[in-house]
Amino acid sequence: MKKFYIGAALLSLLGLADALYLTIEHVTGQTVRCTILSGCSEVLSSPYAVVAGIPLAAVGAAAYFTVFSLAILALFRYRIAGKILPPLVIAMFFVSVWLFYLQAFVIRQFCQYCLISAAITTCLLVLVLSLRWFSTDYTD
Amino acid sequence: MKRILPFIIILVVLGVALSSAWYLTRSIPAAQNPPGNPVPASPASSGSPGSPAQPQPPAPVTGVPGAEPAHTAGPANAPVKLEEFGDFECPPCGMFHPILKQMQEEFGDKLQVTFREFPLVPTHQHALAAASAAEAAGLQGKFWEMHHMIYDHQNDWKKEFDVRPIFEGYAKQLGVDVDRYKRDVDSEAVAQRIMLDGNRGHSLGVKGTPTVFINGREVPFENLPAEKLRVVIQNELRNAGK
Repeated sequence: MKKFYIGAALLSLLGLADALYLTIEHVTGQTVRCTILSGCSEVLSSPYAVVAGIPLAAVGAAAYFTVFSLAILALFRYRIAGKILPPLVIAMFFVSVWLFYLQAFVIRQFCQYCLISAAITTCLLVLVLSLRWFSTDYTD
Repeated sequence: MKRILPFIIILVVLGVALSSAWYLTRSIPAAQNPPGNPVPASPASSGSPGSPAQPQPPAPVTGVPGAEPAHTAGPANAPVKLEEFGDFECPPCGMFHPILKQMQEEFGDKLQVTFREFPLVPTHQHALAAASAAEAAGLQGKFWEMHHMIYDHQNDWKKEFDVRPIFEGYAKQLGVDVDRYKRDVDSEAVAQRIMLDGNRGHSLGVKGTPTVFINGREVPFENLPAEKLRVVIQNELRNAGK
């Protein structure tokens, strides 16, 4: 099962880098500007990009860091971490689906960094579900 | 040791993530500049005699000419010349529009504003149609009226499938000869103006909208809110001795 946790840790690191980059772009106002290549300006300047004054990308970065921490702890046989990881990833997946819906049908613009994050979360979900199917004790 | 190793790994990743974020935030030149300064240097006048040498402001950029005559508002001899590259469908441009109007009211004859077309195609599906509509109205001397109308109603038309009848309606409301407008909107003259403004933008390194230059120097995006832009303009006036 170690391979699953290593995979989850690596994926969450990618997600962390992506979300961190988006957070920096958001905070410094770089992506908020409209550009030729990206619909991120529409997405990041929308009211959905901020939750209680905090950029959603920062919340995503915190979530990915939590997944990374749990995966590392589970790798080192902290059983509780292995139990928290699946519900967290499932919650993140549903949030990603909601954000994808907002981009497709409400904002009508796609931000490539948000799509990368959604893809990473989907991969994490597949990994976590595989973990459940392939093992009854996923801290082992 | 094995029990604490995961915590060490987690702390190392946290440290790397935070320091990378800090480094990247600091390395974006625009983010470091106080509101009073166009990118990238501080005013040379801020240095006192005997103090270490201050970085000099960059020479104003000129770029290739845009469409002539340019759409300007304000006197040609105004000490502060602001040039905006805008896209009518871009939400931040729509938010910047009332800010710029406020600055024009506050600074009056001391500020000249020039608008340059920079429609972001294909990101914004109606940007080119909006730019063409404004330029076609401009051929009848109604550019600024159409410019204001399109920005003021950005949220009304941007999600429509066909915007042309909407812009024709705006033209009619503004007293534009609609038959001529319909011919002009697809004309070579209008397309040429948009292309020339775009060429000027590219020559100045414009990558997105709104991009604003004041007296030839780019204003960082985060200095475009009214309270910061006001300081930039005041500093330019001070430098010009006005």
